[in-house]
Formats: sequence, structure tokens, C-alpha cells
Amino acid sequence: MICSSKFRFSFWLVQGIVAAALVFSAARGGSAHIGRPALPWSAAEVIHIDREQPLRIEPLYDDSELVSDAELTAVLKQVQPRFPQKQMKPNYVEHALRIWGVDAEFKDTEVLSGAQLRDFLIDHGRYLASWGDSMEPLLVESRQGVEVRWGKEEGASVHHDHWLACLTEAGVPLHQPIYTPAKHTRTINDALQQALRDFRVDEREVEWSAMAFGFWIPPVKSWQTLDGRTVSFDMIAHRLMRGDKKFGVCSGTHRVYSLAVLLRLDDQYSLLSPAVREESRQHLLAVKQLITESQFEDGHWPSNWEMGAEAVSHPIDDPLHKQVIATGHHLEWLAIAPEEFHPPREQIRKAARWAIDTAVSRTPAQILEHYTFFSHVGGALSLWRKSRPADFWHTHEPDPVAAVDADAEAE
Amino acid sequence: MSTTLEVQSPDSQAPGGVLVDRTPFCLRLPRVIPAFVALIGGLFWSYSYQRLHHTDLWGHLAYGRIICETSSLPATEPLMPLAEGVPLVDTAWLAQVLGYRVMAQWGPAGVQFLHAATIAACLALVAGGLYRRTHSFLFSVLGLGLFETLNWFQFQIVRPQMGGLVCFTLLTSLLTTRRWHKLHWVAIPTTLAIWANLHGSFIVGLVLLGCATIGRGVDVWRRTNRVSSMFRDRHARRLLLTTELAAAATLLNPYGLRLYAEVLSFSGNQNLQDLIEWNSLNFRSMQGQLAAGTALALAIVYRLSPRRVSAGELLALVVLGAAGMWSARMLIWWTPLAVACFVLHAHAAWRRFHPLVNFQPPVRSGKWAVVTVGLVWICFAWTPFGLHLLHGKTIDLKRCVSAHTPVAATAWLREHPPTGQVFNTYEWGDYLLWQGPPHLKIFVDSQAHLVPREVWRDYMAVISVMSGWNDNFDRYGVQTIIIDKAERGALIAKLKDDTHWKRRYEDSLAVIFTRQTATTTPEKPHP
Repeated sequence: MICSSKFRFSFWLVQGIVAAALVFSAARGGSAHIGRPALPWSAAEVIHIDREQPLRIEPLYDDSELVSDAELTAVLKQVQPRFPQKQMKPNYVEHALRIWGVDAEFKDTEVLSGAQLRDFLIDHGRYLASWGDSMEPLLVESRQGVEVRWGKEEGASVHHDHWLACLTEAGVPLHQPIYTPAKHTRTINDALQQALRDFRVDEREVEWSAMAFGFWIPPVKSWQTLDGRTVSFDMIAHRLMRGDKKFGVCSGTHRVYSLAVLLRLDDQYSLLSPAVREESRQHLLAVKQLITESQFEDGHWPSNWEMGAEAVSHPIDDPLHKQVIATGHHLEWLAIAPEEFHPPREQIRKAARWAIDTAVSRTPAQILEHYTFFSHVGGALSLWRKSRPADFWHTHEPDPVAAVDADAEAE
Repeated sequence: MSTTLEVQSPDSQAPGGVLVDRTPFCLRLPRVIPAFVALIGGLFWSYSYQRLHHTDLWGHLAYGRIICETSSLPATEPLMPLAEGVPLVDTAWLAQVLGYRVMAQWGPAGVQFLHAATIAACLALVAGGLYRRTHSFLFSVLGLGLFETLNWFQFQIVRPQMGGLVCFTLLTSLLTTRRWHKLHWVAIPTTLAIWANLHGSFIVGLVLLGCATIGRGVDVWRRTNRVSSMFRDRHARRLLLTTELAAAATLLNPYGLRLYAEVLSFSGNQNLQDLIEWNSLNFRSMQGQLAAGTALALAIVYRLSPRRVSAGELLALVVLGAAGMWSARMLIWWTPLAVACFVLHAHAAWRRFHPLVNFQPPVRSGKWAVVTVGLVWICFAWTPFGLHLLHGKTIDLKRCVSAHTPVAATAWLREHPPTGQVFNTYEWGDYLLWQGPPHLKIFVDSQAHLVPREVWRDYMAVISVMSGWNDNFDRYGVQTIIIDKAERGALIAKLKDDTHWKRRYEDSLAVIFTRQTATTTPEKPHP
């Protein structure tokens, strides 16, 4: 006999104590509430999304003095998604989709509809048809979701979570299927959950993530990322305000836009704490002051708008497309921001005038070269008419044949 | 009348005319005890005057302060605004609370005393273990000297790890007693339970127990050449069950099983790779050379020693040695074992050539007990803590802290509280948290593993003056910079030439710059 009865008793007693300790510890989970450790085998946290359609921020103003119907029609005509079918750039498609929306329809068959734009982004087959199989796929399937290849590489989405934010702004529903290269079907929800898990507060660009999360997850205000960090909209707002205003996508203007979005969403869902809301307000008031001072006589805002009056007194060599970026983006966030954050209306009208003239006077090739920047001008001007480009276009779209005749006559 | 004090056994009759030692036998001590007390007490006294290091001690006190003030453990990192929301498993919460309580009650002298007391406890346990097994004062002192030398660098810094070292030496001492006492069943799990709350190094204790258990099994198997004997051996079974009980006891902590996940994943944190003490052991460093020398000496005494080498000690030496080579910070757990093994086998080798004849147990006397108490009292009373307690003497903080502590610069910051983000060197983050103005938004502190990877990379880019280093100040909206002159000379020179920054304060240790023009909206202090 290997074991004596005394040892056997001790052995089982100790096993009982150990098992009880393990069960007690696991059941209790520790009295201190801490973030879920990043264990590879642990199930990822899923944020329950309470809606099938993303939230929308309604534009606040209808100012026909700022942009008339005819002017808006002319600008929207310029920014129609008329892209070559081969090697369509995801970044362009994303920009077109976000302003036109999934419902956009065009009489001109050469222009891509909202559904075609959407499908290019969410169906690997469409992407494959445009880029061929030598290009890495745009969609990357992961164990629990779907990721998007982004960065400066060819055929990639340029900004992190820009793909998701644009589909969200375009009104794609939560359970819209996504067709991955592995021939599996995922949904926007899967992509969103993946983005929520992967989000890192300190990554270079949080503007697009902030918007996508803001439009989908309220009233949820905080969640845990894959590394266990608890992220809240307060932290995102702080991150958007952090540091010099020159930093960030599109001369720092997207940070302002995302902050304005969060403030508007906060009106409805109290996403921010009172202290952070007040900080955000003060931040936008500071931006208001800077753009009030940095506008040039012709109405445009320079890319170094954050320098305020100094940007005008010591102008830099600012290429036109950078002026379009700054002016278009500022017009865009101002269209959804309460009036307390506005410079005098005359200044905004002046900026709009410059943007309209610049957009309308470009050739289609010039527009295509900087489509992403001009798309913001189109989107912004529509918002200033309390409308969306697709809705406005639906009622104001000229007959394509007549338009061609008119163009020929003009030439 | 004779003044000779003859030693009596309790039942012996006193001869006429001789002073009788009427001290109860249990209180009598052999003369070796006051000798050890003098030696260890001297070291204790010396360490009680050791200046408090300028690094992580202050951060631990700051965590202790938060725990005491809120009566709860913070779930996320509470001190570094840039690490907001990062989950915090405070593996040293008990040591932090203890340290803070001592600091709040007795000031820096109390912390110095606590530090000296932990070192003295380790030394006493090591010395006791060695003397018990060699009966040689000289070899025990040799062991103490080795232990002190190998750990000299680690002993300079007051940190919760010292509490872990006390537990480790106590565990080693319990495992090497000649006879297994019933008390062991309680003492070993209790030690591990306390250790798990004092410091994350409790895993080392379990490793040691595991090595002892496996080692015992291997020894039995080698002796009997039968595997089944391993399970029949009483001591092997005891060790196995005690290890299990100890592992269960470590779950008595606020985080339960999560503590294990935290401790086991800790060393994998990428930020730690930038810190020298977490790097693998470098044999160009003094610590590495000492360790290599010890390993060589061990190999020699093993060759000469007639003493049987147990599989447990070899296994523990190899496992903990490998851990020390993997990360220099882990070397502290190898040294007590290495010292014990070296001394035991060196003594055995010595006895091989100088056999002991007619060994007499040491004579116990009340006189030595009195001398011991006197020595203890002297060693205690002359410490800053003793002086504070007995005479109410308080010591200026400046005289208690290391020469690299930015005392004056921090005082300047208190007089001119910065708004917005502060950039500080990693080494000073903790002191700034403790002594700086309230709600100071430090960039990093010594809890590097809690700093988000991106923030840490940006921090490293700045202090290494890598390309784009100054952009990071703008990105984070840094308004104030406090850096040390000793290590950051290149950065200071760059900042002095940069018109965006104005030098506002400078002393022999530190320079403080503030931004010339505000780049961010004035921010509220971090709550």
C-alpha cells in the first residue's frame, strides 16, 4: 500500500481546501473590480448596441444667403462620385459615401449610387473586381470580427476607423452583411465590436473612431478594450482636445468636427461628464476665436488656422487644396455646432462663397485629384441648407441630357 | 568573594561562594547571539540612516495614500492621467498601506526604520539558518557578508520587494529546519498568504516550494531506485501538501486568481524592456560579475564538499539562477540560496580537512542575554526613528532623501503650480506625485507597465532626443518640463536653444522649463 490512511485523509483534506479556495476565488472574481485581463482565450466583451440604424446629427441651419439652391446644385454636381471602375480608391469611396449616403441615386448612370459605393467597401468581391487579386484585400477577417487594412499602402483605407465612420455616417444598418475574403459573412456590428476592442486612446488618429462609437453605442458611455483599459467618451474628448490644435487629420479640423459631434450627442445622451462637457465647450470657443482671427480677406481659412491672427499677418505658402481642406472642414463642423461657437455669420458666408467659387471653377480632373477635400465642401454646404446631399440632389438634380447640352452651350 | 559567574543548569546545586546565574534557562543565550546582534545591529543601524531613494518608494507611498484615503483599492491607474482607465492590479497594496501608515505616523525616519528592519530580518534569518546548520560563527559571518555584498544594490532602494525578501528568507529557513514541526503546516501557508499581499514575488515562494518537493522526490527515487518510494516518503508528501496549501493561501488577496494572471504576464510588458533593471543579467555590470563569481565559487565548493547535494537545492539554484539571468531584477531571489549553498558546502569542505572533535553545545548565560538586550537597545535608540520616538527629534526631509532627489525643484513647483500636462523624467515621477503640488499631471512614473505603449514610446523618443522629440511636447500639450541634469544633458541643451521653452528654474540637479506660448485651452487639474 502506497499511502497510509492518515496520509490519505490529509491528502483529500488538502485537495478539498485547494478546490474550495479555487472555486471561492473564481466565483468571487476578487473583491477589487478590475479590468478583464488580456487572456487570449477569454471571450471578448460585446457592447450591446441598442439600435439598428446609427444616430444622426441633424443640421441646425438653413441659410440660403450662405449658399443658394443653384450654387449648391453646382457644387454637388462637381462632387458626384464619378470614379473610374478600375483601382477605385477606398478613401475616395468612403468620402463619397459619407456625404451622399447609402440611399443616393443618380440619373447619370456613370455616377456611382450610394449602394454601389457601399458594396465596394463591404463586399470583397466588388473590391476584387476593381483591384484584381494581386492586391491585398481591404477587409481582413479576424477570429471574432472584421478589420480593415488601413495606412498609406495602395488600395487601403487611409485612416484608422475611417471606413467604419463613413459607413456609419452614410446610414448603413448595424446588421448589414459584410462579405470577407474568406467567404464568411460578417456584419457592421462585428466590425464595430472589433473597433471598440482594438481602440487605443493614444493612437495617432482617434477622430474617426470617436464618431463611429458616438453614433452607435450611446447610451453606453464606457467600455473595455482588449488590453483591459476602460475607455470613456470623456477620455476620447480629452484626447481630441489634447495638445496643439495643429495636430490631427486634415490640419486638425477633424478633431474639432468629432468634438462637435460628441457635444451634440451629449445633448441627447449625456455622454460626457459636466466637467468634460465644459472643457469641450471652452475648447470650441477657443477654436471659434482662432478661426475668427485667421480668416483671409477672400474668405478662405489657411491650414495653419490654429495660429489665429498670426496666420494672416505672417501667411505661409499654403497650396490651394490645403485651403480647401481647412475651409471645407470648418464649414462642416460649424453647420452642426450651436451658434455660440460660430464666428460672425458674415465670416461664415464669406468662407462659403470662397468654397463655392473654388469648387465650381475646378475642372472634373482637378476635382478628382482632390476629391476627398472637395467632398467636404459639398457636404458642408448641404448641411448649411439643413439638408443632405442625396435629398437635395433628388429634388434638384438636373436632367443629364439637358445638363450636357447646357455644358456644350457654355463651352 | 569570587566574582566568577558560573553557568548553572536549572537543577544543579550552587557551590558556596560563587555567583549563581539565576536567569531562567529559557532566557539565557549563548555568546554567539550578542555577536550576531552586534553585527546585524550595526548593519541595521547603518541602514536606518540610509537616505531614501528618489525612485519608486514615493510612488508606492502615493498609492498607499490613495488606498487609505479611499479605503478601497483603485480599479484603474489613479495617478498618471495619461494612463487613465488602465486596469490596476496592485500586487503590493499591503506594503504600500503599511509604508504610508508608517510615513504618516513617523515620517521618513519611520520608513528608514522599516527598511532597515526588513534587511535586518533577512540577515538574521540567513545567519540563523547558516549557524544552525554549521555551528560556525565565522562561516555564518562569511555568508552574511556574501549576502550583503550580492544584494548591496537592491538594499539601496526601499520598495515592497524587501517585504518579499523577508518572506523568502523565512520560507527558506522553514524549509531547511532539521525537523518538520506541526507549526510548519500553518507557518508556510501563512507566510505565502502575507507575501501575496505584500509583493508580486510570492510566485518565487511557490517555485521554491515546488523545487523542494520535486527535489525531495528525486532524492528518494535516487536513493531507492523506485518511483513508488517518492510517494511513500513522508517528507515528500508533506512538502507536496504544503505547497498546495501555500498556493491556496495566496488566493487570500483582493484579486484572487487574477493576481496570478497579473504576476505571470508582468515581465512580458514591452515597456519594461527599456528599463535596465528588467533587462537580462549583464556580465559587464558589477551585479553580473558578482553573480558570476558566486556561481564559480559554488562550482568549486561543490567539487570539494563531501556533503550530499540535494536535488532540491540544485533545482532551486538552476531555476532561480535562470530567472536572474533572464531579468537582473530576479537575481535577488537567487542570492540567499546561493549564499546558503556556498557556505554549507564550503564549511563541509573545510571540515573535511579540519574535522570537528568533541563538539560542545554553546554555553548559555544570562549575561549574554543582558548584553544582547543592551545591544538591541543601542542599535534601536541611535537610529533616526529611535531618536524621534524617544526624544521627539524630527529630521528634515532633505536629510533623509538621496542626493538625486529633486527636493528644491519640487518645492519650486509647489510654489509655482503648473497647469496642464507636465513632462518629467521617469525616475522622478513618483517623488513629484508624493511631494509635488496636488493634482500634478505627471507624464510617467515608475509603474512603467501601466503606461500605455504609445505614451511610453513617445516618452522614450523625447528623453532619447530622437527625431520628432519636440513634436511630442506639442502633441501632449506639455506646458512644463522637469528633467534631471545627470542623465538628460542632451535634452536640456536642446531645450535651452529652443525659443518655445523658457528656463524657469535650475539647480545642481534639475532644470524646469515652461512653455513660452500656450498651445492648449487651459485645462482643469486632474481630479
